[in-house]
Amino acid sequence: MRLNPLTIKKIKRFRSIRRGYYSFIILTLMILASLFAEALVNNRALVVRHGERYYCPVYGRMNPGKVFGLDYDYETNYRQLQKRFKEEGRGNWVLMPPVPYNAYENDLREDRFPPFPPSFAEKHYLGTDNVGRDILARLIYGFRIAIGFSLLLLLFDFGIGISIGSAMGYFGGKFDLFFQRIIEIWSNVPFLYVIIIISSVVVPGFITLIIIMAFFGWIGMTWTIRTVTYKEKSREYVLAAKALGASDSRIVFRHIIPNTISVIVTYAPFAVSGGIVAITSLDYLGFGLAPPTPSWGELLQQAWTHMDSWWIGASVIGAMTITLIAVTFIGEAVREAFDPKMYTTYE
Amino acid sequence: MPEPKQQENYLLETRDLKVHFPVYGGVFRRKTGKVYAVDGVSLKVSAGKTLGLVGESGCGKTTVGRAVLRLYELSGGEVIFEGKNISGMPESEIRPLRRNMQMVFQDPFESLDARQTVGDILEEPLIIHEIGSRSTRRKDVENLLLRVGMPESAITRFPHEFSGGQRQRIGIARAIALKPRLIVCDEPVSALDVSIQSQILNLLLDLQSEMNLTYLFIAHDLSVVKHISDHIAVMYLGKIVEYTDADSVYKNPFHPYTQALISAIPVPDPSVRKQKMVLHGDVPSPLSPPPGCRFHTRCPFAFGRCRSEEPDLLRAPGTECEDHLVACHLVNSEK
Repeated sequence: MRLNPLTIKKIKRFRSIRRGYYSFIILTLMILASLFAEALVNNRALVVRHGERYYCPVYGRMNPGKVFGLDYDYETNYRQLQKRFKEEGRGNWVLMPPVPYNAYENDLREDRFPPFPPSFAEKHYLGTDNVGRDILARLIYGFRIAIGFSLLLLLFDFGIGISIGSAMGYFGGKFDLFFQRIIEIWSNVPFLYVIIIISSVVVPGFITLIIIMAFFGWIGMTWTIRTVTYKEKSREYVLAAKALGASDSRIVFRHIIPNTISVIVTYAPFAVSGGIVAITSLDYLGFGLAPPTPSWGELLQQAWTHMDSWWIGASVIGAMTITLIAVTFIGEAVREAFDPKMYTTYE
Repeated sequence: MPEPKQQENYLLETRDLKVHFPVYGGVFRRKTGKVYAVDGVSLKVSAGKTLGLVGESGCGKTTVGRAVLRLYELSGGEVIFEGKNISGMPESEIRPLRRNMQMVFQDPFESLDARQTVGDILEEPLIIHEIGSRSTRRKDVENLLLRVGMPESAITRFPHEFSGGQRQRIGIARAIALKPRLIVCDEPVSALDVSIQSQILNLLLDLQSEMNLTYLFIAHDLSVVKHISDHIAVMYLGKIVEYTDADSVYKNPFHPYTQALISAIPVPDPSVRKQKMVLHGDVPSPLSPPPGCRFHTRCPFAFGRCRSEEPDLLRAPGTECEDHLVACHLVNSEK
């Protein structure tokens, strides 16, 4: 496939905006890292050598303790196994991930109460929360959920918004009028109350929450796409396609939507940051994903109630700040790179 | 319009064509008026010939071109194409007919989709009308490019990589891709440099003789139209004011408006001192065209009758030309 030279120019321009480009790299790395979070943050070992055999418990099956010569049937505690192998010194070894804790696991001590402050010796690099769960683990898994949530939400919002918006703009007339009124009514439904009502009846799951959010989130994109469709529709190349006998769907999908793509792309990063903020605040208020799902909102809530445990608040606020700034920088750079004023020639 | 002497083979005919655009206003966006863009235009174009349609900007000539192709809804009148009345046809029945009627647009920057390669643009009509297979279509596209004087390598490039003249060639290639019989040329050269204009006009003439095309050639520049047309219709404010063959317009214009247009053609000879006929004032708003003759507000010869009675398009007196029609009380009352 040959990229449009204009697109190449836009990508080059995006890359030349250093701030946005580096943010893009950082965010991509963060997303990639979170996709492989199991290998980075886990209480299962990466590799275990026992006897002559190698095990890879991270992506493998659950190994009961008996496999490694322990006296229990439940899942092996690899951190203990690591110590034990070391003490035995028989050539067996365990390689743990950098953060050897699960996001759900309570690492409790006998003589102290959580939250525990950051400690490199215990490998709680950012400390633990009030029930002894590793904060870094929860941050990373929480990030994965938040970014996955907002990307999926973006897909839903844009999917609905683009289809309704372009139909409104293209067909205009009564159809447009009808949906305008629908949207006006729709946007007056108080979103938060609906969420509260729904989550008082059922505990919303990941997909349910996305559907509820998309239920209210499609409006912005619809308005935008409606407007740009109106603009594109009145341009001569659409008339030319019509004169060739192109069907409505062909005109919309082959001509109008590709020509609105820069608008869509420009909106995407801001929609992502919006999605992250939305899920975090819902979790903070307790209307989001059910505990014990790792979530930034829940950590924020803890930070609020445990003000003296500064590391909770510091890490979650730091993580949010970095992510949102990165996304915003990307959005800014995309907007700048796709600015139509730079490429339109007025003759 | 008087009946022609012999039954000629008209490819395209419009009868009292009307296109009115509604104007909405007020709080409730109710219809508050109409733009009388085209208000009763009757034209006949013989197969293989070119009819030039001239007029000022805003006189409705582009609208005529688009209405003929049914790109605009008609408010009245009929369009007869290949002997069939297409004015009331649903879009589904028109679509196959579009193979035979195509359009070249004025602005080659606007009329090509910037997101498609030239190959995609030229292949599109073939895809829409399901002509050929993928490989034969590619061959067709290459031939089209060669035919309009473009290199084959243009196929993978994008419209914005070309100059205005080259883009207009692409636009023409798209119009002839389906081997149509009628092409509506909507000011195809007015957006181009003068040096390029003649190249494009010659290309259009070559294609016409080669493919036996019929043109409805819309322009605001009489000197361009002169070069290419067999017949010329002069439009003013949604109506035809004069219709004749290309030579008589220049030699023997009757309507004061045509005379003014012709006197405005620059003569490339500084020693010639022409008695220029300069029109004053602006074109009246097509929202509320003046009563009587629409030209009377700017006509230097207007008299009482012009302000109240609308002139018909009648055979001009005292010409040797067979079908020289004029809509002017002054001319027609000389009989």
